[in-house]
Amino acid sequence: MFHVRLVLAALRGLHQNLLRSMLATLGVIIGVGAVVAAVSVLEGAEREVLDRFESLGADQVIVFNGSQRRRHRVTQVSSLLPADAKLIERENEDLIVATAPQSQGFGQIKYRERNTVASVLGTTRAYAVINSYNVSKGRFITRQDVRGNSMVCVLGHRVAQDLLGALPAVGKSVRINGKTFIVVGVMEERGTLGFIEVDNQVIIPLTTAMGRMFGQRYLTWLVAQCVDAHRLPACVERVKRTLRASHRIRAGADDDFTVFTQEQIKQNFAQIAIIFAVVLYSIAGISIVVGAIGIMNIMLVSVTERTREIGVRIAVGARRFDILKQFLTEASIISLFGGGLGVVCGWAMANFLGKYTQVFDIYTPPMIILMALVMAAVVGIISGIYPAIRAARLDPVQALRFE
Amino acid sequence: MGESVVHALDGVDLTIKEGEFVSIAGASGSGKSTLMHILGCLDRPTSGVLEFQGQMVSAMSEKQLARTRNQHVGFVFQTFNLINRTTALDNVCVPLMYTRQSFSKATARKALKRVGLEQRATHKPSEMSGGECQRLAIARAIVNNPSLLLADEPTGNLDSRTSQQIIQTFHELHAGGITIVLVTHEMDIAVQTDRMINMRDGRVVEDVVVDDARRREVLTFTRDAQTRFARQRGLGTKESPSARLASGA
Repeated sequence: MFHVRLVLAALRGLHQNLLRSMLATLGVIIGVGAVVAAVSVLEGAEREVLDRFESLGADQVIVFNGSQRRRHRVTQVSSLLPADAKLIERENEDLIVATAPQSQGFGQIKYRERNTVASVLGTTRAYAVINSYNVSKGRFITRQDVRGNSMVCVLGHRVAQDLLGALPAVGKSVRINGKTFIVVGVMEERGTLGFIEVDNQVIIPLTTAMGRMFGQRYLTWLVAQCVDAHRLPACVERVKRTLRASHRIRAGADDDFTVFTQEQIKQNFAQIAIIFAVVLYSIAGISIVVGAIGIMNIMLVSVTERTREIGVRIAVGARRFDILKQFLTEASIISLFGGGLGVVCGWAMANFLGKYTQVFDIYTPPMIILMALVMAAVVGIISGIYPAIRAARLDPVQALRFE
Repeated sequence: MGESVVHALDGVDLTIKEGEFVSIAGASGSGKSTLMHILGCLDRPTSGVLEFQGQMVSAMSEKQLARTRNQHVGFVFQTFNLINRTTALDNVCVPLMYTRQSFSKATARKALKRVGLEQRATHKPSEMSGGECQRLAIARAIVNNPSLLLADEPTGNLDSRTSQQIIQTFHELHAGGITIVLVTHEMDIAVQTDRMINMRDGRVVEDVVVDDARRREVLTFTRDAQTRFARQRGLGTKESPSARLASGA
């Protein structure tokens, strides 16, 4: 009962100086709002990215050009050849089921007067097998297509929709960057595979892509399928050994390629996410410290203004602890109110960003709401403790004489 | 360097019995307010002892002192010391908040009724006259039915008619059994109590029972002084008769 009256008295006190109380909460609103918004965006991004990594497959080894050791200049060095893919497969038959060498670029795809821009992937038939990514109509790229540098293509689901609508795509002629290709198949609807939106992709034979389309000698990357996810570390070692031998890299010298697994990419991403989190939390932390200083300042002013009131309260029977509780309650209410409003503002801001950027979905973990409110309460207690102690230590006789 | 110790009270030795109506009079700086704060367990003497209802105050803990102030002592101040942001009823409820028990506002309403302010319960002090504010302060002081009521210059901020109303309220409370100690520098107020303690420079210089003869003498002198004062106002005299009385003129 006493506590209810204490809270009501504190609310009445704060209501009396509503504008000042609102200004005091502003710092906490901004701080907590920043934390909630940052966490919501980060969590949403992390979930989206991890979902995409999951689609890569846990039993795949991905090999990029260049060494990660050379200050992450992965794309600066070109070293992967189509022959490397064959070699890896041939020399490690016991561990590697298949390899899919890939050469990637972008192109303008035209069918009559309709056109669209899509990712163009040159690969072999292993690509469909490794990713369990099948055609919905027609057929996929064959070994003969690759051997013969055929001008054939398989359209992604959306590309087919955009260019041909309801028309049957197989057998039609499309132009990719001005070159004529015969459509031999349409892929099933899949969304994304890793970071590539495969529905907006056109697949052509690897040799055609490297020679006729992009004029490249080196692969963009290659993917090797391991027999079993549990034997992935052994696969990685064998791929490295094969490539070092093939590229004639001396002992002790850096690799001219980088091998990743789904797990490593996840870890790398997690590290990047931590850096982002540290930066965002630091900014939010500074806001909360500023908010706490704001509350402390307001509470100190309040103690000075109410010195006589404190004297009267002690005179009519309040203990010093009661005075301490009263001012701590006021600081906590300011802070909790700011925290609650901060949660709402942060959530609204994150959802606004998510809706209008449409890059990824926003996810606000329920735990962060609880944590934000606990944090707000802690800020209230910390910022209120000094003014409250000052109030409780006042000499009642002096307080009653205070002008 | 240059510092000297000033004793606000020096060698004060007095007993106030339960049910008495006592005034402590004296000029500014005579130590009467300090004595009132000590009697009300708000301040502690640097030396000497205070016994309150048979208990040594110096031996009381902070918690016991707070409980004594809450349950047995009521304070009335010259400047009312009301909480302006709350209503009259809420002001009276303040001591009840610290009784550590649940309470109903009916208790506070009863106290307001005792001082004739039941109709003003929802008004804020800023909406009330000086006399009403002081009566409200009295209601706050008596809400816990204290045995001792301490009033520090309760009429200092009021006109003479309102002052008389406040003194009348004190008389009614005294008749109800409350011990009242009234601190004032106005002799015409002081003589309206049963016992008058005069102080000067921290010492008790006079401690007398106020009889009717003395009361009549002081009140007649005050009335005459007021008449003279009113005549002299045109000559620029600013000293009030009460102040001159207090200084022994």
